[in-house]
Order: sequence, then structure tokens, then C-alpha cells
Amino acid sequence: MEDRGGNDVPASIPSGEQMVWADVSPLLAAACNDLHDGELIHGENFNLFAAMSALEIMDPKMDSGMERNGFHSIEEAIESGAAPIPLSLDRTVDVQRCIDVMDHLLSCETTWHRGHSLAQTVFSCIYLLRIERTATHPLLHSYCRIMRSTCDVVITAVSDARTHEEEDFFTTAYSLPLKGDGDEKCLSLLNSVEETVSRQLRACKAQASRKKLCDDIGSLQTNPDLEEGYCRAVLCRLRFRKHFYHALVCMRKPKGRGLELAKKHVMSCLSELGSMSKSVEFLRSNAGGPSDGEIECRTTASGKQPFGFDANINSRLSAPTPPRAIQLLSWKQAIEFFEKLLNDLDAIFSLPLDLSLENILQFLVQFQKSQPDLVARAHLQLLLVQDGKLYGKYPFHVVISRALVLPEGTSDQAFQENEFVVQLGQLTINLIKILCTNNAWQRRKLGKILQDWGVISIQQLELAFRREFDETLKVSADEMLFTRLSKRLLVWAEEKTYWIASRFLLLGFQLELYSPKEYCMVYWYMYIIFVNLLEKMQMRASYPVDDSRRKGKKKRDIAKDVGLESGVCAMCMLLQCYIYISEGLTMMLAALHNERQNFKISSPFNSEHERFIQHFELLQRANVPPHISYHLFMESTTHVRISNVVKHNYFREVQRILASLRGSFAGDSNKLLELHQLEQVIEHNRIALSVIDQVGASDPSLEIRFEFQHHPFFPVAVVKRS
Amino acid sequence: MEGETASDPIADGSPLVSRVRKLLFRRMLVGVKDGRFFLGSFHCIDKQGNIILQDAVEYRSIRRSPQSPMEQRCLGIILIPAACRSSCHVDCSINEQMSLLSII
Repeated sequence: MEDRGGNDVPASIPSGEQMVWADVSPLLAAACNDLHDGELIHGENFNLFAAMSALEIMDPKMDSGMERNGFHSIEEAIESGAAPIPLSLDRTVDVQRCIDVMDHLLSCETTWHRGHSLAQTVFSCIYLLRIERTATHPLLHSYCRIMRSTCDVVITAVSDARTHEEEDFFTTAYSLPLKGDGDEKCLSLLNSVEETVSRQLRACKAQASRKKLCDDIGSLQTNPDLEEGYCRAVLCRLRFRKHFYHALVCMRKPKGRGLELAKKHVMSCLSELGSMSKSVEFLRSNAGGPSDGEIECRTTASGKQPFGFDANINSRLSAPTPPRAIQLLSWKQAIEFFEKLLNDLDAIFSLPLDLSLENILQFLVQFQKSQPDLVARAHLQLLLVQDGKLYGKYPFHVVISRALVLPEGTSDQAFQENEFVVQLGQLTINLIKILCTNNAWQRRKLGKILQDWGVISIQQLELAFRREFDETLKVSADEMLFTRLSKRLLVWAEEKTYWIASRFLLLGFQLELYSPKEYCMVYWYMYIIFVNLLEKMQMRASYPVDDSRRKGKKKRDIAKDVGLESGVCAMCMLLQCYIYISEGLTMMLAALHNERQNFKISSPFNSEHERFIQHFELLQRANVPPHISYHLFMESTTHVRISNVVKHNYFREVQRILASLRGSFAGDSNKLLELHQLEQVIEHNRIALSVIDQVGASDPSLEIRFEFQHHPFFPVAVVKRS
Repeated sequence: MEGETASDPIADGSPLVSRVRKLLFRRMLVGVKDGRFFLGSFHCIDKQGNIILQDAVEYRSIRRSPQSPMEQRCLGIILIPAACRSSCHVDCSINEQMSLLSII
């Protein structure tokens, strides 16, 4: 590399007043020569630890400003013709290249969503960095504008949800031109371009039928044979952007008002994505690009390298990322990514906008099963909790009072101001927000909030007892009421606590945190949590519904309430199935543990006791449920034998309940699917148990594994004879 | 950790080393081989000539032409390996400059 330093100090770097720049290179060289090995010249404030964090200049992994053989600045790139406008003087090539830019931007956008900085992805586009230049090219200009606005909308939504700290998503747009004058017009710009192109497409079709040559005025490009194909390719890309932008904006409308419209836009988006995929063949045949094999990893549909991108051009802006090169996702992957994202968004529209917290929690669990993207999760969270209210409409004390069935005579005012109701409302908001985060973070947070819920329960309990004690001395109607209310609040809070605990344990399976040798203790703990949860659910369901409240309601509402109770009943029965299966699995595993050596934990590092603590520490600390210890686990599992397990037949009971549950869940495809899965689990395990029993559990030729092939958290035992 | 490899200023015999020590904390401008300059406070130098600057600012031409305007950004603490250093200046008065030059 050319030595351009020399003795010249650039005039733009001034020395101090009445000072000059004196060359000290010879002095330094001579002094270094005099230094001993390992000796340093430094001041008193020198700290080796701090010095270690120094950015090493000219290290390609650290020095983002390092001169690569690219352009020094965006202006220089533009002057060198890296981003020409128009993209070619040949109008056909111009449209081709414009489509390549659109496609590459989609790949960039996907790569950004998947964890790279905005500066290295979407904003590697020189057109986007100097958007005003593109004004003379309406097609490119409109696409760039809406692209930029979409990024802004996405960043705003994700930042507002404030749960992205542990996600691979960069909301930092440090010194990038993310917003600009005229962005609010992006839709009208896009609409007018779309209108022109669709008119042209109609004209093409009409002319094709009359076998006339294409009129050059208003056409997209000059080759009449290709006009229709290019019009279609451009239109679906523009429309995709339009609907995607609309969908995101509609989803942010307060109180879920824009949901219906957003759903339509999401559907349109999906169909435009389909059209984009179809355009591949046409674009490739005209591009004369690489062969099919290579095209899979290309970032454009045509397979060509796009104009106007330089991955390094603003590497100095990408402060939070090291300046290493990134691999962009291919166009095909981008299409798949957006399909998934749109389907995740679509799942949100099936959210029942009702007040039932049970339904919301169930929905969230179901929603998370497909591991939705952060953008979808952020939107769901923003929809659920707006301004501290459910859907921005219902204060959380109303949500809680709905779930509770308030005792007769409770005034809304008193309930709303009750300090526990206020606290529980806050805890519920947190819970909903946490359930919208990714699985790993969710599990950790759930483990932590268990303590908060636990504390509430204890306080409630104390208060309820104190009031009860007071009752014997001095009874006032208000206090009686308060006591009854407290008890119900307590049961409700405890039920939610056990629900959180069960979710915490179940997420461990999704995150693959348990090893097969630990399954026994996990199912044992799950069994206990489920039993407690069922007890609280039944207690809550057993509260007599206040008649005076019912009288005021219309008949329709009463029907709803009854529906809710039968729903609770069905959930209780499903939970009962979980209890039996967990118990059955615990006993089966314990028996195998006792009778077969290879199911014993024999690690030189952690004993079984230590593992028990590692897995359930958060539950134990929150006292959920109280008085559960490793010794209790040991006591209940040490003497189990396969023959006992077979005799007891935990799984048969489940079969009976499942059969009766089918009717209750008719119409709920997710629940019916789960019933089917559970049936598979118990059937397989029943057979496995009897095989093990017949052959003898200690038979060394028997190979037993547990696999989650039917249900996400209940395994089946796979038995083989070698 | 601090100063484990530090030399003892009193026991140090070389007059050149003590002169360089006097330059510590002064504004130092280091040019590197790709044409950039770094201006910061002189913090440390080792036997190999690797320099650490504190509160450094990077100056970089935005065009290839020699008269190109420069853009700058703050980097904080940086290490400039001797191998990529092409020039090194300190900010000083004219008198001081003469004495510095007379050393060699």
C-alpha cells in the first residue's frame, strides 16, 4: 500500500495555537531502541487492563474504518457510477436492474431481521442512503421510500414493546437516514407508480389480444414481448411493499381497531409473495444469469448481482457490530422468512378480543408454539397491553374481576382501589408481556416473577386470616365482604402462580434443558404442580356465581358465563390427564431408574440432588408449592418397581377422560390435535410398559429410549431388543 | 495488574527514554499506511514502537484525491501497531520543536 503519511500533516488537522506539529518518529525510534524487552513508557494513570480494550488499528476484525479497496465515501461511489440513475440507458435493462435492487433489498431486510445491523444490510444500498437522487426514477424512488418507512415502522414497534434486549435484532439506526422529508408521502408515491404500471399491464393484455405492437409511451421498457412479464414482476413487488406497510401500520391502531384491515393486508401480502415467486422463471430467462445450481444462494430472483450496493460503504456507521463481512440471506430464504412472518402475524388475528384472561393465556401459549418472529411477538404484545390496559380498552382490575366472580355486594370502586387488585393487575401486565418474549427469556423471567406472585399469595393469606380473626371480635358487613373477596383473590393468585410454574417447567422441554436421566424428577415436579393447579382451578370454579350480578345481565351473558364454566371444567379434565400422565411417567422412569443401571445419574460432576436444585431452585425459592424437597422426591420414587407401575395403570384412566373430552373441545382444532397426541402417548407407553414388564426391566438386551415424537412435552418409551 | 511491566522512572538511565516520557499526555498525531490520521493523547509506547492513544479521533479523506476534505469520528482508546505507522507528530511550540530535532 502506498505510503501517504510521510512528513505531511494535512492542513485540516490544526496544531494548537502558536504550536507546530513536530515530527517525533526519529526520537521514538531511538528511545524504543533504548528500552528493555517488555518495558513500556507510560504515565501514572496507565492501566494494563484498560489498555487491553484498546481498538487495534488496521486489524480487520476491529478497525472498521480501515481502508478497503472500495470507495471512501458515498459521494465518491456515486461519482464513480456505482449507483447510476437511471440504472441503464436501455430501458429494458433499467427495469431488470431495478427489480434486482428491489430483490436484493428484500434479502437485506430479511438479513437485518435475522440479526445483522441495519447499516450493513438495508442501508448498504446507495440509493437508499441518498434517496433524493432517485426522485427522477419514480419506480426506484417509490420502492426506496416505502422500504425506508417500513424499517422505521418495524423499529418503532419493536422498541415500543421493549422486549428485544436478548433478541438478535438491531433497533439502532445510528446516523442512518431512516427518516426524511416526504416519507409520509411514500404511500401516495407508491400508489401512483402502481397505478401507472397496472394500467400498462391492462394495455398489454388488450394489445396482446389484438396482436398489436406495444405503444412506447408510458411503457415500462422497450421490448413489447417482455412488457407484460416485467409489468407483473414489478407490480407484485410494489404491492407486497404496500400491503406489508399497511398491515404493520394498521396493527398499531389503538384498541385493535385496525385488526380487520390488517388481516386483509396480510392476506394480500401473502398472495403477492406467491406472485413474486412465480416471476422467477421469467426474470431468469431474460437475465441470462447463472445456472440453477448457483441461483439458490443469490439475493435476486434473476440471479444477477444488483447495482448500487456496497457492503462496506458505511461500515463506520455500524457501531454495534464488528466490521466483518456478513453473509446475506438469499432471495429464496427472504421469501420464506416473510411467509413465516406473515403467517405469524395472521395468527394474531385469531386472538379473541374478549376479557377472559384464561383465553388470552391459552392463546399466547398456542401462539408461541410456532416460535414466531420478534416482529410478530412485539405487535401481539403492543396489541394486548396498551396504556396499561388490555387492548387499550379494559383496565386490568376489570379483567381480574371478570376472572374472579366477585362476592355479592362488592362495589366496583372498592375493588378497583384494593391494593392487592392494583398489585395483581401490574403482575398480570408483566405476565402477558413476558409471555410474548422468546422462549429462553420467557422461561427465565417466569422463574423470577414466581417470587412476586408467591409474595402476594402470602400477604393475602395473612390478611385474610387476620380479618377472619377480627371477625370473631367485631363483625362489620364490609369486613366480611372484604374477607371473602381476599380469599377469592388469593385462590386466583395461587392458581396463576401454579400456572406460571407449569409453564416454566414445560418450557424446559422446548428449550431442551432436561437430560433423559432427569426426566423422572421433572415429571415428578410437574405432577405436583399440576395437582396444585387443578385444586385451585376447581376451587375457583366452585364459587357460587353471584345472583344479583346475574339479574342485571341479559340472557345472552348468562349463557356466556355458563359457557365459561364448562370451558373451565374441560380444562380441568385436560389437566387431570396431564396429572395422570406425569405421574405415570414419573413412576415408569423411577422404576427403570431403580431396576436398570443406565437410568441412574452417575455424573462425576453433579449429583442427582444438585441437579434437582439446579432445575427447581426458582420454584423452591418462591415456595411453589410449599414443603417440596429432594428428600420427598426420593421417598416417593425409591421403592417403585415396574410390576407396581403396570398394576397401577396410570394411563388407562387417561384414555377414559380423553374420550369424554372430545365433545367439549369440538371445533377447537388445536385442542383436538392435542387430545390425539395424548392418546398416542398413552397408547405407546402402555404397550412399552407391558413389554418391559414381560421381558423384565433388568434384561440387558432391552434398549429403552424416550422420544418426543407425539407430544411436545410427554415422551413415549421406545423399547427395542438388541 | 497495573504497571506490572512498567519501568522505574528514576532508575531509568536513557535520556531519550526520559524525553519520550515527557511527551506523555501530549497531543499526538499518528499517520497510518492507509492514509488515515489519528489524533489523541499519547498514553503509552512499548519497545516495538506500538503506540496507545487515548481519546483518539480518526481523520479520513472522503475522496481519493490528495486535496480531499476529511471526515472525523471519535474512537476512544486505540492501539496503533508500529508496523502500520507511517508518521508521528506531537503538538509543540517552535522552540520545543528545535530541541526535539536536535536530539538525533
